[in-house]
Amino acid sequence: MPDWNDLVRRRLAPLSLPPAEEAGLAEELSQHLEDRYRELLSGGTEEADAYEIVAAELDDTARLRRRAARPEMPPAGGPRSGSFGTDLARDLRYAFRTMRQSPLFVTFVVGTLALGIGANTTVFTVVNGLILNPLPVRDAARLVAVASAEVAGRSQSATPLPLSYPDLRDYRERNQVFSELAGYTSPRLVTLEERGATQSMFAELVTANYFAALDLTPASGRFFLSEEDSAPGAHPVAVMNYATWQRRFGGEAILGRTLRVNGLALTVVGVAPPGFIGVNAVFGPDLWIPAAMAEPLFPSTMRKVWIDRGQAAFFGVGRLRPGLTLERANSNMAGIAAALGREFPNIDQGRAATVRPIREAILATAGGPASSTIFFASAALLAVVGIVLLIACSNVANLLLARSAARRQEIAVRMAMGASRARLVRQMLTESVLLGLLGGALGVAAGYAGLRLVYGMLPGGANFAPPRLDATVFGFTLLLSLATGLLFGLIPAFKASSAGVAEVLKEEARTIGRSRRRVTLSSALLVGQVALSFILLITAALVLRSIGRAYQMDPGFQTAHLAVFTVSPGQAGYSKAQTRAFYKEVRERVAALPGIQSASWASNVPLWARPLSGIEVEGWQKRSQADTVRAIVNTVDVSYFETAGVALENGREFTALDRDTSAPVAIVNEKMARDYWPSGALGKRIRLPGETRMREIVGVARNANYTTWGEPPQACVYVPLAQNDSETMNLYIRTAHDPRLMMEPAERVVHAAGPMVLMMGQRTGREIVDGGLFQARVVVVLLTVFGLLALGLASIGLYGILAYSVARRRREIGVRLALGASRASVLRLIIGEGMTLVLAGLAIGFVTALAAGRLMSRMLYGVSASDPLSLAAAVAVLSAVALLACYLPARWATRVDPLTALRES
Amino acid sequence: MEVPDAEWKKGSAELLVLSLLEDQPRHGYDISKAIEMRSGGALKFHVTSLYPLLHRLEEQQWIEGRWVEKAGQRRRRYYRLTAQGRKVLRSQQRSWLNFVAAIGRITGLENA
Repeated sequence: MPDWNDLVRRRLAPLSLPPAEEAGLAEELSQHLEDRYRELLSGGTEEADAYEIVAAELDDTARLRRRAARPEMPPAGGPRSGSFGTDLARDLRYAFRTMRQSPLFVTFVVGTLALGIGANTTVFTVVNGLILNPLPVRDAARLVAVASAEVAGRSQSATPLPLSYPDLRDYRERNQVFSELAGYTSPRLVTLEERGATQSMFAELVTANYFAALDLTPASGRFFLSEEDSAPGAHPVAVMNYATWQRRFGGEAILGRTLRVNGLALTVVGVAPPGFIGVNAVFGPDLWIPAAMAEPLFPSTMRKVWIDRGQAAFFGVGRLRPGLTLERANSNMAGIAAALGREFPNIDQGRAATVRPIREAILATAGGPASSTIFFASAALLAVVGIVLLIACSNVANLLLARSAARRQEIAVRMAMGASRARLVRQMLTESVLLGLLGGALGVAAGYAGLRLVYGMLPGGANFAPPRLDATVFGFTLLLSLATGLLFGLIPAFKASSAGVAEVLKEEARTIGRSRRRVTLSSALLVGQVALSFILLITAALVLRSIGRAYQMDPGFQTAHLAVFTVSPGQAGYSKAQTRAFYKEVRERVAALPGIQSASWASNVPLWARPLSGIEVEGWQKRSQADTVRAIVNTVDVSYFETAGVALENGREFTALDRDTSAPVAIVNEKMARDYWPSGALGKRIRLPGETRMREIVGVARNANYTTWGEPPQACVYVPLAQNDSETMNLYIRTAHDPRLMMEPAERVVHAAGPMVLMMGQRTGREIVDGGLFQARVVVVLLTVFGLLALGLASIGLYGILAYSVARRRREIGVRLALGASRASVLRLIIGEGMTLVLAGLAIGFVTALAAGRLMSRMLYGVSASDPLSLAAAVAVLSAVALLACYLPARWATRVDPLTALRES
Repeated sequence: MEVPDAEWKKGSAELLVLSLLEDQPRHGYDISKAIEMRSGGALKFHVTSLYPLLHRLEEQQWIEGRWVEKAGQRRRRYYRLTAQGRKVLRSQQRSWLNFVAAIGRITGLENA
């Protein structure tokens, strides 16, 4: 038995009757049709014929509606234009019903949108976490960052520098603008000893009022008391990061527990609130410890930090008193800075204090030295995913255009029955917005999956801010979905409803698609898609090439047979003499291992070093008060230059004869030698900050990359380990073969020499380079993913529009074939039609890419933004995929049977 | 007998439906069957005309529809005449008779 109810409902759907009326009518009608059908069957009619006869009775559904326009109906517009709410409910019901009828269409549209919206959600969440909403504290708008800056003449250097603890204390006591002014250091590596094993952790030294300044409430326990930062080493207490408590300590009772950190027993007194990982909201510590604990905790590096005005390690964070402006705070601090400069001329003269909104300071630390990089990368990524979404939108708009062509008759009938154009547009927009929202809902899921993927790519599982899908993100996605729905729905809705009623009703169904303008519009959308995906592909190809180049660059040290790992005997409580003996023993034993050519120690890991300022060069005239010599300082053991593969240009290496009792020596690099001693550096003298004696330069080494891959040359000073004790060093191993094979034997040697010594950060030279190029590699991955996504979407769009065109022109193609056109020429015709659009898109994309090339150039190593090979690769990939997308419908066209096609007319 | 044209049918449709409901409640299909049978197939209602007509009569409160359930069957909507409908029917019957009589007198078809 046929489902009459279904048939009736489908016929009634376009009439948009009020729901109750429609349900009743449908039931009556289907009952009627069923009765009629049974009767016909029992009269001996064939089933198929009976169905035809019965279904034909429904042909004129318009009559069912016509009655609504009768004058005796309740006036005031009747059910057709009730309240906004009724209309909306009806539109939604109608939209759902229409969507149920074309599940494939809906799947495709929602899937496309979900990809586009999901990509945007992922990127926005990351950007949101990094930039837009970084600090989970109350009233963050009144928080400011206080830092020191060098003054050169009248201009003040833009780079904020840390403050010393005594300076910070003076600022805190003397200012009239902050309700609290607190200080914190960057997260520092510490060693946690537990049940005979060691783990690494990060700890931040903070002033006692740190949490008060941020106005936080502990998740458990308490924060620091003011006396806990009042006397050096007196109060070994710590506050734990909530995530650390949960992850490392399983959330079990922690208050009052004693942790052995760097050999010191610390009592946990509180847990910070969840989500708070410090002021720098990207990477945070596991523990916060009062600044007064600096000396026992970091005996060699921060011994006098609490009292030494020359050791600047603290960043200031202040809470402005209500009603006070940034300008007021700046002038107050400038006054104090000037006073300090007079009181401590040796250290604080030429120093200013800067007060900036906390957000600015966080971005500066998050982005490292070049904070604009993070903005640039964020903006670029948002632009890229925006492009992907645009492509998705135009694809969906194209689909809707094609579909609205098929629905033109339905629309015309509805207009004939008195539906206003505005009403129809609203109805169609309801549909597209509904699609947009569905896409958005799925997009959030896709976005979350994307986030997990991105965070999976982060190096190390350290203390990063977790991805948060918060209200801002949901709001963003919701807005995006609504905007998307309107964007791709608006044009088709207006186009579809603009056709004259009479014109359409007269038209034969077969000739519907002949409107020239609609095809032009979809073509324009398609050209845009091709252009956008081309730009993304070029960008991906350029960055890929640039990375290829980058790996071939010479960083000034060898990478192929190098392994490095960090060893920290100082943190195991070794004395100076023990530490020296340990370094010597490990170096000699490791160097003696078979397969190892040489081994040495260095305080720096390649691409992780930061320059130090305040180096004194004998006989060099400062150009101004604040002019300072900055250089990378690397403490290295004998045979370092051979092991790391850094060539010596001049002079000699360090030897076992360079001892703490012999004359202090140093080796500088070419850059430093050229800058300060153009006539020759050997025999000249320098002094490092905090040292009393001058060091004589005994050698000049080649420049290398110290901080970032492919950086411009930086000055560098090497000093011998024997003359500069260090509690943490990095073991460098030069191997004969694959360095990975030698890591374990070397680790065993270290472990044998010092079972309690922390070892970490094992990596090969290649991994160091990978790390240095991490950002670029992430960019490549993202661009490639998004580029291919865009290309895929554009190809589907191309395929769709051509398939539609072929379907529309079946008859024309049939005639051509009947008149003797060869199948090959039909194939050429269709492919030519598609490829014309592709070429137009390529041309536009090409011009745009060249214009945008300058933006790109800062991300590229040794590749021009108009690199022909990258362009060619992008053209080739895009053309190949586009050709396939054209070929399929074209082949379909050649299979048109002229007889069938003509008979259809 | 010639098939009455559309205008005739339209004018008389209300009268036909009301007349059929005078002695018993009927459902839609029953009404359409009865019209077809009693007219010997000369009069036939399209479903798309019949139901809107029924609903309109109902809205004018000349007839009244009610869902009736019967065991083993789908429920049907039965229509019956209201008191007001009965009055309308009477008046329509009178005017129809007058109309037919008038036509007869003019055309001389009466009792032909």
